[in-house]
Amino acid sequence: MTPAPSDSGLLDRPAPVAPAQHTPAVWRPSAGIVRGGLLGGIATAAGMALTATSGWLIVRASEQPVILTLLTAIVAVRAFGMARPVFRYWERLTSHDAALATLAARRTAAYDALIPLTPARLGRRRRSDVLTGVVDDLTDEVDAQVRVTVPVISTLVACGLVLALTALVALPVAGILLALAVVVAGTCVVALRLESRSLTELLDARAEVTRVSELTTSQAGELRAVGGWDTALGWLDRAQEHLARATRRLSAGRALASAAFLLAVGAAVAGIVLVVRDLDVGAPVKALLVLTPVAVSEAITPLVDAMRALARAEGSAARIAALLGLTPAVRETRGPGGTAPTLATDRPPHIELVGVTASWTGDRQDVGPIDLVLAPGSRTALIGSNGSGKSTLLAVIARHLDPTAGRCLWDGTDVTTLPLDDVRGLVALVDDEPHVFATTLRQNLLLAAPSATDDDIREALDRAGLTRLIRALPDRLDTVLGAGGRGLSGGERARLGIARALLSGRPVVLLDEPVAHLDPPTATAVITDLMRAEHADPTRTILMVTHRPEGLDLFDRVITLDPARR
Amino acid sequence: MKPFDPRLLRAAPAARRPVAALGAMGAVSGAATIATAFALSAVVVAVVEDTDVTTPLVWLAALFVARAGLAAGSETVSAWAGVSVSTELRSALLRRWGSLDADTRPERGAALALATSGATTVEPYAARFLPTLVTAAVVPALAIVTLAVVDWPSALVVVLTLPLLPVFAALIGRATAESTERRWAALASLSGHFLDVVRGLPTLVAYGRARRQVETVREVSDRHRVATMETLRIAFLSSAALELLATISVAVVAVTVGLRLSTGSMLLGPALVAILLAPEAYWPVRRVGAEFHSAADGAVALDEILTHLETPSSPNAAFGSERAGIPLISASNAAFGSRRGGGQQGALEGRVRVHGVTYTYAAGSAPVLRNLDLVAGPGLTVVTGPSGAGKSTLLDLVAGLRRPSEGTVEAPAVHYVTQRPFLAAGTVHDALTIGHDVDDVQLWAALRAVGLDGVIASLPEGVWAHLGDEGFGLSAGQRQRLALARAWLSPETVLLLDEPTAHLDDESAHRLGELIAELAERRVVIAVTHRPELLEHADHHLVLGESGALEAATAPTLEPALEAALEATLDPAIEAAPEPHGETTTTHEEPS
Repeated sequence: MTPAPSDSGLLDRPAPVAPAQHTPAVWRPSAGIVRGGLLGGIATAAGMALTATSGWLIVRASEQPVILTLLTAIVAVRAFGMARPVFRYWERLTSHDAALATLAARRTAAYDALIPLTPARLGRRRRSDVLTGVVDDLTDEVDAQVRVTVPVISTLVACGLVLALTALVALPVAGILLALAVVVAGTCVVALRLESRSLTELLDARAEVTRVSELTTSQAGELRAVGGWDTALGWLDRAQEHLARATRRLSAGRALASAAFLLAVGAAVAGIVLVVRDLDVGAPVKALLVLTPVAVSEAITPLVDAMRALARAEGSAARIAALLGLTPAVRETRGPGGTAPTLATDRPPHIELVGVTASWTGDRQDVGPIDLVLAPGSRTALIGSNGSGKSTLLAVIARHLDPTAGRCLWDGTDVTTLPLDDVRGLVALVDDEPHVFATTLRQNLLLAAPSATDDDIREALDRAGLTRLIRALPDRLDTVLGAGGRGLSGGERARLGIARALLSGRPVVLLDEPVAHLDPPTATAVITDLMRAEHADPTRTILMVTHRPEGLDLFDRVITLDPARR
Repeated sequence: MKPFDPRLLRAAPAARRPVAALGAMGAVSGAATIATAFALSAVVVAVVEDTDVTTPLVWLAALFVARAGLAAGSETVSAWAGVSVSTELRSALLRRWGSLDADTRPERGAALALATSGATTVEPYAARFLPTLVTAAVVPALAIVTLAVVDWPSALVVVLTLPLLPVFAALIGRATAESTERRWAALASLSGHFLDVVRGLPTLVAYGRARRQVETVREVSDRHRVATMETLRIAFLSSAALELLATISVAVVAVTVGLRLSTGSMLLGPALVAILLAPEAYWPVRRVGAEFHSAADGAVALDEILTHLETPSSPNAAFGSERAGIPLISASNAAFGSRRGGGQQGALEGRVRVHGVTYTYAAGSAPVLRNLDLVAGPGLTVVTGPSGAGKSTLLDLVAGLRRPSEGTVEAPAVHYVTQRPFLAAGTVHDALTIGHDVDDVQLWAALRAVGLDGVIASLPEGVWAHLGDEGFGLSAGQRQRLALARAWLSPETVLLLDEPTAHLDDESAHRLGELIAELAERRVVIAVTHRPELLEHADHHLVLGESGALEAATAPTLEPALEAALEATLDPAIEAAPEPHGETTTTHEEPS
């Protein structure tokens, strides 16, 4: 009854590498952003006009004309003065609304794309940090619309207007302004290069600081025990020095841009002064022309921030594209004849691994070859040091990762020929960081079994050892947990994960380091409560992966896994 | 949120200089901007009046060059200031948490978040917000004083209108406070939703609920957009109102100047200076508002970090021993330094004294150790007892990693091989020399003593081979032996060993037993074990969970039946001590 899949199909798995992708253009605007950019251009132009006409007005006034001749200019000054904040307000509303719409669309698409990659392609540890990174990267990427595209369009529009008007009045001055624009554009390109180059270095330095910080926060005791605390502090200091250097190097782009902009504006003023003296225009117009570069500087200053935002957004977009471009770690294959065999759902399956090897990345074997039988209702603990492949094996059994070789048989059927959702539907997985959603306790449990009654929920909580928690909660099952709600201790979180698994009624329960972050008595209590629940109702197959000794004696057998030979 | 927290300068002394430099540069830049107004008006006057333009132009050029230098300098210094503050705060936090014992250390995840991204958000606060604050304090004042000298009526207009900005901001703030607060709360939960769902994705996928959330994500993201826009509308409106107010004020200056010019009661030069200077009085004040928003997260994180740093370092009051009136020797965290320096107050050289120690993990739960006495001198002290009897806890207490709830622990500096000894991702050499320097001869002697010399010698890189994820994989037994080799090399007189022979076969366990006995001839060795090899060599034997050393050691949650099962599998007497588990499979042979 076991359909034999072609071996080559199992062995020649495509490596989960992102196809070579060009960095998507993060600045590509939506219609709303273009509208925002145009409005911003009007606001910027009004600001420049305000400076220039004020200068003209003062000089003209000093010639003591009839006051009426100044009236037009006074009205113009007032109009420009009012127009700038009004159009700026309009621009900000338009562009933020457009960017938020883009963000909503990108979030939905990214979430959808993440589902088949979860969990095996999210890295092997601290997956929630990887996911937080995705959320931040999406925000940064869309941020470019407001911080890059809008200011750039605004500057182009405003400067285009100024150039056109200046060309009508005094062509040589327009030439100087054009040169100014070229210098500014060139500076932007260089600044962007500098930012992008140092940004990678900065992110690497930051990752290293995070790694060492994690080491010192989670292993302080072990480090002290062997006299390694000072050494670890040395690592921290070195990583931080690196970070400081990278941060300072990153400022080079901004420093260059802000200095170059000022120098260019100064040079343009000087150039115009020299040209304008020989022009055949009135004194007030001359004043206006001299002040124009100063007014223009208002339009180009935002470009300094824009280049940094662009560098960041490009980095973020590239990371997201790389992650979402991965191939899923499991393939759904059909049995012969196109119809997939089915599994019994009312009892635990007989699970057998034959010569299974597996790899997270495709380029290195993380576990195996291993033979293992999980009889229905058996309780097995899998121990071993870091890198021995415990979690890899668990991922294969949970149908989160395809084996690279060998076969994983459920009731004698190769699991890769069974419908993915059917297999996963039999497995409840508890990991070391059970997520507590920002919703009620009831909803937090119902996601594991949508049709469960309150009585079922209470029973599951009882069996996971959370009776005392419910009593302590002000609104019982309706208490809001998670971010913004009531916090749970590490032990309570672990128990919540177990309660979900129990409530789901799934016949295979896989526990991946469920007590990794708990103190020894809590860890023992959590495991003991779980196993007691199982003793009362021994219908599930349980497999726990752990590196800790607590509660091992409560399992039928303990399997030690040693690192794969490389 | 306070605009400036002086505790910052106390907590991060190295940041004082860059922050001060940044403030100074802001003030100097302000002065240079004011000077530019003079030079620029002089140039315009020279052009208009067709006089010699060289001198003002040279001044103007020089000022632009100076301002360019200042701008570049400010960017560099602001990066320096930001990163100095963040790295110093992070370093102080991690050092402080490391000096706390296991019970007073904050929760791992929250602590890590505060030390990493929390400290990073302080960067814009220090690098941008603080200098903006300095500029806002200095530049408007400088501009007003200059205006007063050049053209006092303009200065008067500015003095009368400038206070309107903060007043106006406060009025808008108060009028919208209630609705803003309501919106922020709604916004926080909406914007948190996506993060929550994405972080919980592994759970949703595991229970087949992920697909159903796609529509919810779309819908909530759209509600988030609408809610954000409502909030932004008010924020943008108030900033537009302030800008309008500033523009009108400048326009009033311009009109009064223009009128006086046209009547001939004023010269062109001062008039130009006045209209170029007037805006300088307003924009720094408006910028504080803008930067305030981007620095708000940093200010919140800063407050939290400073609170952590300023919590009294020895929360002794929390410990029962104080209430019991018993002096507490190992309770002082400051003892960490002196412990390593060789012995602490009251400790006899080379002797461990545990007197009347009771230890409880969490308030309200049953003590793990109760009224325990132990004196361990040179030689091997073996501690046995059932799981949960507090054997490892006892070693933690002797090592000073935990503090007794009651009683005293006196011990010189110790080297403690925990059940999962720390082995950093690095070379074999790094692993063996962490915390102490040794030469190659000693290194190989230690490897030989634990029987790892053959394995290491066969590696192409020898002791420089990399351990861990990217290199040479060690079996649990090999890691254990490596940790023991490190203990062999350590200078401390007292060795604490937690299950040193746990992952070893009988042959290796026997060899290590002899090695430990040999070590105990020169040092104080306290070993916790399940297995018999060590008992053969023991000079002293402490059984936890028996006669007076400890009563009820089992967790209160155990049911009687299970409790009996526990006692049966883990007989404290340890006669033959086979592995307490039914079947043990090893899937790989140790590399040789």
